[in-house]
Formats: sequence, structure tokens, C-alpha cells
Amino acid sequence: MQILEKNEKYEQLYLAALPIVTTYIFELKKQWKKFVIFMTMAISFVILLSYLPYALIPDNPLPDTQADYFQSGLNFIILLTIFGACFFFSGIICSEYSDKTGFITFPIINKYKLVVGKYLGALTLMIGVITAFYITLGVLGIYWYGGPINYRYYYSFGIALLYLIAVSSFVTFFSSFMKSVNMTIVTTIMLLLIANMIIDSLVILLYPEFEPIYSLNHNSELISYILVEDFPTKLEDRYEDFEFRNFRRRIWLTPTIEGAITIFLLYTVICLIVAAFIFKRRQL
Amino acid sequence: MSKTIMETDKLDMNAGEKSSIEQIEKAETGLKIVMRLENLTKKFGSFVAVNNINIEVHEGETIGLVGPNGAGKTTTIKMIAKLLRPTSGKILVLNKAGKLQSLNGDHKDLVKFGFLIDQPFFYDMTAYQILRYFARSQNYPKEKINARIDELLKLFKLIDWKHEKVNTFSKGMRQKMGIIQSILVDPQIIILDEPQTGLDPKARIEIRATIRELQKLGKTIFVASHMLHEISEVCDKIALINNGRIVAFDTIENLEKNLKEKELNCQLLYPLPANEIESTINRINEKLKKYANHHIEVATAEHNHSVKYDPKKQNFTIYYNGKKESRGEILEILMSEFKSNNKIISFSQPKTSKLEQIYLEMILDDQPREGGG
Repeated sequence: MQILEKNEKYEQLYLAALPIVTTYIFELKKQWKKFVIFMTMAISFVILLSYLPYALIPDNPLPDTQADYFQSGLNFIILLTIFGACFFFSGIICSEYSDKTGFITFPIINKYKLVVGKYLGALTLMIGVITAFYITLGVLGIYWYGGPINYRYYYSFGIALLYLIAVSSFVTFFSSFMKSVNMTIVTTIMLLLIANMIIDSLVILLYPEFEPIYSLNHNSELISYILVEDFPTKLEDRYEDFEFRNFRRRIWLTPTIEGAITIFLLYTVICLIVAAFIFKRRQL
Repeated sequence: MSKTIMETDKLDMNAGEKSSIEQIEKAETGLKIVMRLENLTKKFGSFVAVNNINIEVHEGETIGLVGPNGAGKTTTIKMIAKLLRPTSGKILVLNKAGKLQSLNGDHKDLVKFGFLIDQPFFYDMTAYQILRYFARSQNYPKEKINARIDELLKLFKLIDWKHEKVNTFSKGMRQKMGIIQSILVDPQIIILDEPQTGLDPKARIEIRATIRELQKLGKTIFVASHMLHEISEVCDKIALINNGRIVAFDTIENLEKNLKEKELNCQLLYPLPANEIESTINRINEKLKKYANHHIEVATAEHNHSVKYDPKKQNFTIYYNGKKESRGEILEILMSEFKSNNKIISFSQPKTSKLEQIYLEMILDDQPREGGG
């Protein structure tokens, strides 16, 4: 009797998860080409920026430590994450409406399950891209400096994944109300790259004492700064002040680890909840 | 009891009467109700796209929702597909326990649905990949999927395109793909929105043949179309929709009979002077108001009139309530109206069916409405 009940429970779980799993696999197949392009881009950029300059230019010295080498090599990861997230996640919701597909076929299947499947599929592919980037850079780190890999590099990888989830949620939120995929891509890239930077600069200019903890841009600094051996624990160590004539400017070097993780999680939760709410209200 | 369900009649009924009529209907047909639209209304701002629709679909029936473009067909279908939320009213669908259940609740207990929305679009994948995904997501037995896909692709002559990307398909081929995905998992209820769109005459015949095959299998089919002649052949009942309202819902035979019985032709000896036509129509319309057939008048060219005048034939067409006693009274009114200047040379009921004609008038005279489907 108990076995029967257990089997029934498993079957219910299986049926509940089936649309998510099949959509997940379908999404992997659907975005496969995009994945190959981004993967090639990621590996090419690591080789281009972190191998060729040292291999081909004899007078170009390597950074002092492996951590410094990783830190300089990770500059491109933010750009890669933003572009990747915008291209992989922009169609998650809005493409279903602009192309009239997906939900039409599954009127009696919970549509959230389909979006979850699509989101997880796209996330897996982007994690693959980020992982390829880190592995290539890691291998080069061992090649130049010998092993093992600095343990802080793994922390950086973890934070990069959290950043990816936050950015992808941000893009998914836009996808929930934008009309077309292209519009979503352009808008989110503009917001994440340009608008974010302008807002941060304005805030710092107007309120130099105020740390832009709200900013994904500022918090993403942690991805490379976590590699610094003496990670600053005091507030005054996390910024630098510059003065030029009467003009004073503060540059924030890094957020706190706890602060950045909290902000990434907050972005993820808020964006996904609002996206789910808009998605629920949205009609074809 | 006539099986004709007129919307206006329905509105006048109280719940008790309604339920007893349902029981009688069920007893008459011996079939379960698998879907019921109850006072279904959809508004886009002040625009009423679907106005208080009441339709019942019995098990194994094929219902045609016919109306001109913008009549509210697609909006109705989209509400059933949960792509639009009704402003008011309910959609009830049969669940696995054999009871009607609101579409708003948990879906897992509902019987399987198949949908074809107008102009289906597919991801840029091969026909096989897409169909396999649709089937798996809806828990179709894994071991039967390939055979089922092949069977349907063969039926619709797409088997040679099985591994081609759907984006390379023509409009007609995509439409066929849409139909295939709607019947792929062998659903009990199949809802097709304009299945003939984009298809050549041969393919349209194939679609009709497919619908007949599905009927043989006992499927319940709900087809929306603006082409009455295309679907009247395969439908058990037709729901004529115009301006968001169901103007008639019955079997084609009953509709034709009903329309024939509720129409009178009155031919004049001399044509009416052009400057008197409008005032005469208004005057007669006013006098015949109490005999008007509220159902039919919506379908006529002049939406506010149940009287029409054809200057070429010198003929008045009067849509009335169909009662025998009304006929005599209407004749008397007309005789008194035309006794001085005109003479009535003929007063008769049409001999042939006017369904197609009335429907064509609906299409020709209907002004396209924004937002309707």
C-alpha cells in the first residue's frame, strides 16, 4: 500500500516536472547555435586578451601573481555576461506573444512551467559560456604561473554566476512586458551598459559619500576584486578619492562581499516576482 | 421543444428554467456537455469584442463558429485558450471526473484540448523536433510519439519535410503543422481557428476530410471560420456570430428552416421613388416593431431595421417573429401602407434557404471593427 502511494507521488511529481524538463531540453536544442557562437567568442577573447599579448609581445611582462593575471583577464566577463544574458533571455516571455507560439499549444499546462523550463535552459547555456571562459583563463593561469589555481578564482566564478542570474532576471523582467525580442535586447543592453553607468556617475558626482550599492555595475566589480589577496574589510579601503583643482571625485573600488551577494539575490527575486506578476496579467 | 438556442431567449431565462432545458437537451441528444460558454463577454476599453455569448458543446459534436472578420471569433477562441481573460462570464470544460469545471481553476483534471490559433508560428526547428517537444510536454506515451508524428505527417503530406526547419515551410504547410500539433496528443476537444486560412482548395478538402475522420473518432470539434460554405458541410451545428454576439445557434437544417419561416417577401407593382425609400422603411419598421425578429435583425444590412427594400426587385423583405397570426397582421399593415400609390403584387415566404445569403450580407455590410477577432 505504502509502495503504491509512493509510486503515485513519484508519478505526480514526474507529471508536474515533465513540461519543465521537456521545455528545458528543447530550449537547449533551440539556443544551441547561439551557445556555440558565445562560447567561441568567450574562448577567443580570453586567448586574444590573456594569451596573445604575452606570447607575441616579448617586452610585455606578465602580472606579478596569478591572481593579478586573473583579475586583468576577468575584465571582459561583465561585457560577455550582459550581452549573453540579453541575447539568451530576451525572448523568454515576449517571443511567446510576438510570435503567438508556445502557450497556444499548451492551454491546459501551467504556463509558468514552460517559462521556468526556458529560463533554466538559457541559464544552463550561459553558465556553460561563463564556465568555458573561466576554464580557458584558468588553464592559461596554470600555463603561465603553474598550479594550483588561486582559490579566490573559484569565489570569483561563484560571484560571476550570481551576477549572471541577477542580469538574466533583469532581462527576463523586461521580456515580460516588452513587445519584441529585438526591442528587449536593445533596451536591456542600453540600460545595463550605458544608463547604469550614467546613473552611477551622476550619483557619485552629486553624493560622493554615497556608495551605489543599488547598482549591478558597481556590484559586478566584486567578480575581479575578490581576487585581491588583502580584500578590503574597512569602508575607507573600498574607495579612492581623486582631486583635480577644486573638483573631487570618489571611485568605489569594490562592494562588500555580503552587500554584493545580497544585491544580486534581491535583483533576482524582485525581477522574477515582478516578471511573473506581469506575465500573469499579460494577454495575447 | 425546438432545439434552437437564441441568445435573447437564453437571457430571459432564469436559472431553474435554464437547468431544466439543459436536462431536456441532454436527454434529447443523449450526450454530455463537454464545454459551455456562459455569458462570456470581452471588452477592450469601451469596445465590446464579445458580448454575452452562451454556447454549449456536446460530446462528439462539431460546432462551427461562423462570422465575418472582426465578429469576435478569434477573441472567443483566445479566451477558451486562456490567452485572453474574459471581462465577465465563464468557460466551463469537462474534467476527467465527467463534470464541468471552470477553466480558471486547476487544469490538470481537465480533458485534453487541442488548439489551432489563427496563423500559427513555430520555433525555428525541424517539424519533427517541434512535434516531439509538443507531444512530450503533454505526456504523450514516449514509445508512440514517433509513429504518431509519422502518421500525421503522412496524412497531411508533410512526411518529406519531417526534418526540415519549419521556417522554410509555406504558409499552407505551417497551417497544416498547426493542425497536426492540435491533434497530436489525441485530445478529446479540438478547437480550430480558421483552419482553412492559407490553404489551397485541395488542402481545404483535405482539412474537411480530416475533420470528418476526427468526427468518426468521436472527437468534439469547435471550428471558427469566416467561410460558412467551407465548414457548413462538416458541422453539426452553426453558431453565427456578428458584432460579438451569437445571432443564431442551431443545426444548419433548423437554421435554414427557421430563417425561411421568419422571412416574408412583399413585392410592389411600381418601384418606390428614391426620395421616399428611407422614410417608408422607417415608417414600416415602426409599424412592424412588435413583430420584429430580434435575432434576425442583427444580421440584416440595416442593423436597426427588420425591413429591407430592394429597389431593383421592388421588393420588401421583412424579418419577423415567424408566428402565423403575425403574418396576416403584417399583410394588413402593408396593404394599408401601399393602398394609395402602390400595389402589392406578391406576399410570400421564401422557397429557398437564405442562410448563405444572410451570412453574405453580414460579411458585405459589416464594418470592420477594431480589436475584434
